[in-house]
Amino acid sequence: MKSNRLWYTLFLAPAILIFLLVFGFPVVNVIFTSFFDYKINQPMKFIGFDNYIALFSDKAFLISAKNTIIWVVLQGTVHVILGVAVALVLSHKPFGWKIVRTSYMIPIIISSAARAMLLLYVFNPQMGLVNSLFKMLGFENFSLNWYYDPSTSFWTVTSGWLFFASLITIIVMAEIATIPQSLYDAAKIDGASKLQTDLFVVLPLLRNVIGISVILAATSMLKEFELIFLTTNGGPNDTNLNLPLYLYKEAMMLNNYGYANSIGTLLIFLGLILIFTITKLFRFGQSDV
Amino acid sequence: MFSVKGEMNMQESIKNIIRKALTFIFLAVITFISVLPIFWVVISSFKSTREITSSPLSLPTSFSFDGYLTAISVSPIFQYYGNSIIVSVAATLLNLIFMGMAAYVFARVKSKFINVLLAVMSVTLFIPITSMMQSIYSVIEAIGLYDTKTGLVLVYTAIGIPITLFVLRSFFLTIPKEIEESAYIDGASFVRTFFSIIVPIARPGFATAAIIQFINCWNEFLFALTLTSSNENRTVPLVLNYFTSMFSYDYTALFAALTMIVIPSIIIFILLQEQVVSGLSSGSVKG
Repeated sequence: MKSNRLWYTLFLAPAILIFLLVFGFPVVNVIFTSFFDYKINQPMKFIGFDNYIALFSDKAFLISAKNTIIWVVLQGTVHVILGVAVALVLSHKPFGWKIVRTSYMIPIIISSAARAMLLLYVFNPQMGLVNSLFKMLGFENFSLNWYYDPSTSFWTVTSGWLFFASLITIIVMAEIATIPQSLYDAAKIDGASKLQTDLFVVLPLLRNVIGISVILAATSMLKEFELIFLTTNGGPNDTNLNLPLYLYKEAMMLNNYGYANSIGTLLIFLGLILIFTITKLFRFGQSDV
Repeated sequence: MFSVKGEMNMQESIKNIIRKALTFIFLAVITFISVLPIFWVVISSFKSTREITSSPLSLPTSFSFDGYLTAISVSPIFQYYGNSIIVSVAATLLNLIFMGMAAYVFARVKSKFINVLLAVMSVTLFIPITSMMQSIYSVIEAIGLYDTKTGLVLVYTAIGIPITLFVLRSFFLTIPKEIEESAYIDGASFVRTFFSIIVPIARPGFATAAIIQFINCWNEFLFALTLTSSNENRTVPLVLNYFTSMFSYDYTALFAALTMIVIPSIIIFILLQEQVVSGLSSGSVKG
């Protein structure tokens, strides 16, 4: 086996190399340069925590941070609950369950860029699907500009991901499929209704998979980009910016690299804090069955 | 007159009907919000722009392919399709080969270094890669791969590291060690054992990983946007960006383009549905 050491190294080398190039070095670079005044075509200058201090008096950053946190919380709760609810309903295999599952998967299979464009026209004030339906119901002059009216834009953007929880649904359904039939039979003999069985027998068994779903859903909101960028682009008046989009604007539009990377550093730490907290909350690995 | 028991049964069956009705409504709403927008866009793509704006909900009075002709002639949609296929296939192959080799070592070798390396590579699934867009852009530019397919392939190969690693390593762990040991006794080398014995056994694992990786590459938007600039290298998700800026009021062409982008994905998904579902559920569940 000793002679295999060389092979182990060679087998790991390409993966490590690509990892260092695309994750390793960039992570270090993001954190390091966040302490510099670093713009395009000018020498870097060490400025300590100045970027971070500036962030906390930057109105657009504060809005972005606030929105990101709201979206993380909504996605980790409402989105996951919806996904689990659909999974529980479909697990009884009601008539047409496969059609429902297939349909529900479609929005997450097409690219989110395509989904963003679909929604942009669904909510179009003049010829959009939603307003046309309202007009059909008799609201002749209904012309709400869902994405740009300040009173609706935040929730219209949110609707682009909040209800499309099919990834959670299929993960949870896969877990439900591993529950032995005998457990259902036992619950039935004890006189439990289907709903009671789902809530008091099945749901507690899903703790681990729900925890994983919460991590997936919550951290996905730290990456969300195209469903905002292609619809409102953060407007009106920056009201639905999030951290990735604000980072993009600072880095790619304004070439304000050091400042953008201080946002990136905060995003990385936010990700780690989320994983840590949710793992603690769901007490992974501890079995109480 | 109903007996007490009969009333209870009535109540039970009314409850039952209400429950069934609520379930039905719930599932119907879920289905509608998922597919109605797509149906609407596909149907509208055959209407004229005037028809779309004057009666958005009506069926087309005559089927016209003008939108498609405009979309094809104005945008480089087929070129973008070609780019997407090249980039996604290459990034999927590279990812499977490199991560397959690494996952095999991770499944077979126990050491502190290996455990730490595995943990570090796995945690990247939850680290928002958007936070590194400027750094990744700088790296790609520094090695001369800005606005090249190779640059995109490199980044996409890396993006798939945690999921492919997880799927393949779990699969390798289920293969009994005796199989390799008997191969070694027969004099097969390490490399040969891996490629001619382990890889064929792990084919289902590779298929699962390939599906997830391909879908993710096909749909990727942010790095395609920041790491490319020319039509020679841009991929399908960016074609829409092109459309809104080029002719935002030609709804027919826009809807035709949208249809051309979403329909192939949907057809492939429906054909490979079971594999996609099992792939996504096993790939996302990290124990």
